[in-house]
Amino acid sequence: MRHWLSKRREYSRSAPETESGLGQINGVFTKCRGCKKPVYEEDLKSRFNVCPNCDYHYPISAPERIKLLADPGSFTEMAREMRAENLLSFEGYEGQLEKAREKSGLGEAMVAGRATIGGNPVALAVMDFRFIGGSMGSVVGEKVALTMEAALEEDLPLIIVSSSGGARMQEGIYSLLQLAKTSVELVRYTRERKKPYVSVITDPTFGGVTASFATAADVILAEPGARVGFAGARVIEGATKERLPEGFQTAEFQREHGMVDRIVHRLELREDVRRLLELLA
Amino acid sequence: MILDFERPIKELEDRILELQRLAGESEELQGEIANLQRALETARKRIYLNLTPYQRVQISRHPERPNFRTYVEALTEDFYELSGDRHYGEDVAVSGGFARLKEGGRRVVLVGNDKGRDVKSRVRTNFGMAHPEGYRKLRRLYALAARFGLPIVSLVDTPGAFAGRGAEERGQAWAISEDLLALARSPVPVVSVITGEGGSGGALAMCLADYLGILENSYLSVIAPESCASIIFRDPSRAEEAAEAMRITAEDLAEHGIVDEVIPEPLGGAHKDPAPVVEAVGGAIGRALERLEGTDPSALFEMRYRRYRAIGAPKSLEAGRNGHHTSRGRG
Ligand SMILES: [Zn+2]
Repeated sequence: MRHWLSKRREYSRSAPETESGLGQINGVFTKCRGCKKPVYEEDLKSRFNVCPNCDYHYPISAPERIKLLADPGSFTEMAREMRAENLLSFEGYEGQLEKAREKSGLGEAMVAGRATIGGNPVALAVMDFRFIGGSMGSVVGEKVALTMEAALEEDLPLIIVSSSGGARMQEGIYSLLQLAKTSVELVRYTRERKKPYVSVITDPTFGGVTASFATAADVILAEPGARVGFAGARVIEGATKERLPEGFQTAEFQREHGMVDRIVHRLELREDVRRLLELLA
Repeated sequence: MILDFERPIKELEDRILELQRLAGESEELQGEIANLQRALETARKRIYLNLTPYQRVQISRHPERPNFRTYVEALTEDFYELSGDRHYGEDVAVSGGFARLKEGGRRVVLVGNDKGRDVKSRVRTNFGMAHPEGYRKLRRLYALAARFGLPIVSLVDTPGAFAGRGAEERGQAWAISEDLLALARSPVPVVSVITGEGGSGGALAMCLADYLGILENSYLSVIAPESCASIIFRDPSRAEEAAEAMRITAEDLAEHGIVDEVIPEPLGGAHKDPAPVVEAVGGAIGRALERLEGTDPSALFEMRYRRYRAIGAPKSLEAGRNGHHTSRGRG
């Protein structure tokens, strides 16, 4: 794996379309948030948005994550056409959904389906932070539940990659109750099946998603530097005036505190998950 | 304590008291008092029969609202309180233990949020906002309930889980998700009533239940209206609108099929006349326990599964399913 990590692609000066999904990175190169050195868009993209200099992990889209994690061509999506409804007639919600669909090219903040990882069949769901901050509404909750249901019915390991600001306020009580919905489905799976549930936490994962399925796994993996917690640092500082330590809520911090099993470099994720699957499945 | 929107009522009451003090035998003043009393009645009805969602939130937070201790004293014969999470500490934002209910003499595991009665106790109980220790104490209690075959009864009154450095360092989200799973798989009935505030995941960790009742002026919300306003409307002063938009009132929740029962309160809120409210809560709990009693664990589990699996899965979502799955939900 190392050789691939350090491999630097030839890049052309003609600016490619920004496909990394990073709104902030425009044009050919940008200053890296991690190392402050110039990073080429093309380089980033070929490394699934991990800085070639400092290994800073930028966000990636759900389709890119699936490309990274699943064996090529193995992913089949389920419930692709499922669309959120404005269940409470919340002002402006339809517009936000429309914008999010346009921006992400996705129907919702979650892509769910079946795939193989190193030849091992799995049920796989991946969140996309670009879609209204990866917030969990009815459709996200439903897709989580459907993925768990597929894992249960087909006796598959379950893998969920999270990235979420929390519950989707625009769906009010329905978004809160997705915590209950995913919990009852998860309990059914873990009661009946002996296959592992692996939660992969990426930057950032907060609120209702961490307070439910993202932390309720057999094994919790997290990406380097990913921020994960219940309430965000800004909320805590605003509410309590506490000074927060350096690296608060990062994956490394959470592993120190016993909350995360392993920190896995994005480019090693597929291999890491494959090892676990072959040990347990 | 007088809430903002109650000022017109308070002013009339004060004037009546003042005149009564001066009146004596004066017929003219007696007439004036009678007029004011009629005006007071009208004002009460105008205000209390037209409460906005946010005004209800304010009532649900009223410091004189009957709290966990009120219910314990009125409804239990013997509350044998337990402490600690066996990991780190004791969190008094959540209380719990074994109890025998007066009505029917049933033994239960009783949990609830004790917000305290005065400033000092309210600070001590952190206004009902639990740390991970509170949620881990709950998990212990849920396990004890399962072990001894005692139903779980919870009285929810929390603005939500506490957001702070220590809470995060000790795994707030992890503690909550464990409680949700524990309730989801509970082999004993879970009976909950939201008696005050029902704030977010912290509340849900106590009321993923087989029966969920709610007091008329209580609420259950994914986020505090003030926080929703500052995030969505970028203006915390628009909490009134946020409370409206998120449909958090007891009535809304009943309409959307989220709660089983709305327990009425007297005009102006439970604190105006606590006794009948406390009794009604006791009655609702008793009836729910009676109905669920003797249900075997797998039937309970299946029932709870159906109840929550269907939430937020309206018809159009069904259409989105790709045919690989048969719906087990009630929707
Ligand atoms: Zn860098």
